[in-house]
Amino acid sequence: MGDWRTEVFAGFVGAILVIPQGITYAYLAGLQPEYGLYCAIFVTLFSSILGTSSMMSGPNTAVAILIGVAVLPLAGRGSPVYIDFVFLLCMMVGLIQLLFWLLRGARIFQYLSPAAISGISAGAGFLIIMASLDSILDLSTFRTTFFYEKLYVIISDATDLVNPYSLVIGISTILGGYIGRRYSARYYIIIAVCTGYLCGLLVAFIWPQPLTELEYLGRMPLQWLPFSIPSVNIEYLMTSIKLVPYAFTIAFIGLAQSLVIVRELKMETDQDIDLDKEVYAQGLANFLAPFFSSFVGSGSFNRTKANRSLGATTPFSGIAAAGFVLILITFLGPVLTYMPMAAMAGTLFIVGADMIKWSDVKHYAQVRSELVIYLATFISIIFFGLATGIVIAVFLSVSVFLLRISQLELSVENKDSGTLLKVKGALFYASVAHLTEKFQSHFGENLTVDLQYTTHIDQSAVDFFIRESSNMAAQGAKLTLLINDQQRRFLKKLGISSDIELISL
Amino acid sequence: MKINHLLICGSLLLLLAPTLSHAQQNQPSIEQLLVEPFLDDYYSNVVYGYEIITDTQKHASRYVGNSLDCSNCHLQAGTQKEALPLNVAGMYPKWRAKNGKRNGIGLRIRECFLYSLDGIMPPEDAPEVLAIAAYITYLSQGEVMGAEPEGRGVPTLPATGYDPNPANGRSVYLEQCSSCHGEQGEGIEEMPAVWGLDSYNKGAGMNGIREAAGFIWANMPFGNGKSLSQQQALDVSAYLNLQYRPADPRDSKFLKLLEDLFN
Repeated sequence: MGDWRTEVFAGFVGAILVIPQGITYAYLAGLQPEYGLYCAIFVTLFSSILGTSSMMSGPNTAVAILIGVAVLPLAGRGSPVYIDFVFLLCMMVGLIQLLFWLLRGARIFQYLSPAAISGISAGAGFLIIMASLDSILDLSTFRTTFFYEKLYVIISDATDLVNPYSLVIGISTILGGYIGRRYSARYYIIIAVCTGYLCGLLVAFIWPQPLTELEYLGRMPLQWLPFSIPSVNIEYLMTSIKLVPYAFTIAFIGLAQSLVIVRELKMETDQDIDLDKEVYAQGLANFLAPFFSSFVGSGSFNRTKANRSLGATTPFSGIAAAGFVLILITFLGPVLTYMPMAAMAGTLFIVGADMIKWSDVKHYAQVRSELVIYLATFISIIFFGLATGIVIAVFLSVSVFLLRISQLELSVENKDSGTLLKVKGALFYASVAHLTEKFQSHFGENLTVDLQYTTHIDQSAVDFFIRESSNMAAQGAKLTLLINDQQRRFLKKLGISSDIELISL
Repeated sequence: MKINHLLICGSLLLLLAPTLSHAQQNQPSIEQLLVEPFLDDYYSNVVYGYEIITDTQKHASRYVGNSLDCSNCHLQAGTQKEALPLNVAGMYPKWRAKNGKRNGIGLRIRECFLYSLDGIMPPEDAPEVLAIAAYITYLSQGEVMGAEPEGRGVPTLPATGYDPNPANGRSVYLEQCSSCHGEQGEGIEEMPAVWGLDSYNKGAGMNGIREAAGFIWANMPFGNGKSLSQQQALDVSAYLNLQYRPADPRDSKFLKLLEDLFN
C-alpha cells in the first residue's frame, strides 16, 4: 500500500482530466453531457473497486463514437428512446465482456510483446494529441480520413479556422505545464490547468465573449445518485437485434484497450495484477453503468499515464478520482463554469505527448523484429485507428513469437561412429524443415540425433524420423535417437518404427 | 368500366390539385410527438428543442447563467403571437444591427444564451443549438419564407406624447406585478426574476425600454394581456430598465476599468 496522500492526489488530477473528456465523449455518443460525467464517476468507481490495478477507467473515445454509430439509426439523438437503446447496448456490452471473462479470453493479450504495447501506447498518445487540437484551436468538428489531411486543412485555412484567443490559452497551458514540471514533477498538471484558467480569465477580462467566441466548460448540475432502470421490453428487444454486432465490437475494443493498459502496468510496475479479474471488473462495471445513468467505458490511456506519473499504485486512486469528479462539479461549479475548454485540452496535449517516448524507439531499435513491431503498430494506429492497431499488434507479436519458437538450435559433432546432431527447441511441423537440411547434407552417413534438450515432439516429427530412417536404411546407414524415458514412452505411443535405434540416457 | 373509373379519379385529382398544393402537410402536434415512442432524427430533435425551450434549466443548464427559461419570454413555448413567437426560421439569415453581422438562426440562438439567459455562448455545433433550430423550423411550417410572420416579436407602441416615468412605473409594478415577480424583482416560485443577478443582463433585448414595453403591454399581467394602458407599460418598462442586473457581456471589463481610472 503506497502513501494514501499520493493516491488521493493522483485521483484529483484524474478527475480534472476526465471532466472535459466526459462532456466531449457524451456528445460523440449522442447523449447529454451529464451522462458522460456519470460515466466518469460510476464506471471509474466500479472498475476500480472490482479491479486489481491502478488503471483509470471511464469514458473512452472509440467506445463513445461506436455507441453513436450504433444507436443513431434507431432513434433521434438524445431522445428518451435513444437513451433507452444506449442503456440496452451498454448492458449487452457488459454481458459480452463477462462472457469473455468466463472463457478466460484475457490470455490472448498475454501474447502482446512489450514492443507492441509501447507502440500502442505511443499511437494512443498521437491520437490524444490530434483530438486535443480540436479544442485548443477551437475547430468545429470536421472529419478527415487521415490525420495529415486534417493538419493540411488547419494549416492552409488557419486564418479562418483557428481561434487565436483559444490558441493563446492552449499554448499558455502547455507552456505552463512544461515549465511547471521543471519545478514540481508532481503538480505540473495542476499548474498547467491553473495557468490556462488564469489566462482564460485574462482574455475574458480584456475581450468580451461575443468577440472571442471561446468555449467554456459551463454549468453542470449533477445528482449524487442518478438511479435509472433501463426499460427492457419485447419491442425494444426486437429492434435491438441490430445492436448486437456493435455490442461485440464495443466489448472487444473496450477490453482490448483496458488489457493493453493493464499489461503495460504489469510490465513496468510491480503491481499484483490479475488480467482475468480486470476483465471481470470491466464487464461488471459496464453492465452496472446503465443503472446509474451512464454509458459504457474502458481503460483510459491518458489518465492512467498521468496517474502512474504521479506515483499511484493501487485502485484507490480510481475511487478517489470518481469521488473528486462529483465533489468538483458540485462544489466548484461556479469556478469551473468559466474554465476554457482550450485549457483542458492543453493538459491532454501534455499527457499525450508524454506517451510518445524517444527512449522507447532507441530501446527497441537494438533488436530489428522489436523495432518492426513497434513501428508497424504505431503507424497502423495513426492511420487506421486504435482497434486496427491492436489487432495488428497482436498478430505481429504472435507471428514473431511463432517464428522464434519454430527456430531449432542445431549443433553437429563428428564422432567415430558417425555424426552426432544435437537438437534444442521444440520439434514440430513448423520446425522439422530445419532438420531436413541437416539430414540431406549428411546423407548416407550414420546419424545420431540427441533429443534430450528437445522440449516437444509431435507426430510429424516422428513420421519424419521414420521416413528418413527407411531412406537411410536403403543406403546402409543407421539412425539412432538419444532420448529420455518419458520421450521413449511417447515415441512408442506415436508408433516409432523398429528401424530406429533408441538409446535411453 | 375501368377506364371510366380512372377518368373520374383523374378529374377529381385535377380538381383537388390546386387545393392540395396550398394545403399544408399535416405535421404532428408537439403533444403527439411527446407520447410517440419512436421518433426519427428530425422529430426527436424537435422534441429535444421543445424540452429545452420549456425547461431550459434542466435540459441546457450547461450554458445558462440565470434562473430563466426560454419560455418565460417566448410564451407558450414560442407559439403565442406578440410574445416573441419562434416561427421565424424563414427570416434568417439576416443582417442585425445588434452585432453588425449577417446572422444565421444558429448565431441568433447562441446569442440568446449569452444575453437573455446571461450564460455562455454555446459552440456553433452544440446539440442544444441544433435542437432549438429544429424546433424553430418545426414551428415555422406554413410561414412564407423571407416574410415576417404575423404577430412577430412584440407590438411597437405608438408615441404616447409623454416620456416614460419610472416613478409612476414603480407604483404600477408594486400594484400589478409584484405579486408574481416579487417586490425585489426576484420572481416568486415559477415566475421569472425581472431584475437582479438571476435575470437577463444589460445586453438582452428585454433591456430595451420600447421592446419590454411592447411585451408588457401585450402579455402582462400574465393571462390578462393588454389590460394596462400603453403609457403604464412604458413606465413599468422604464422602471425595470433602471434596476440592477448583470453587465452587458459585449463590454470589455478591461476598457471599463481603464475608463474608470482615467476619469
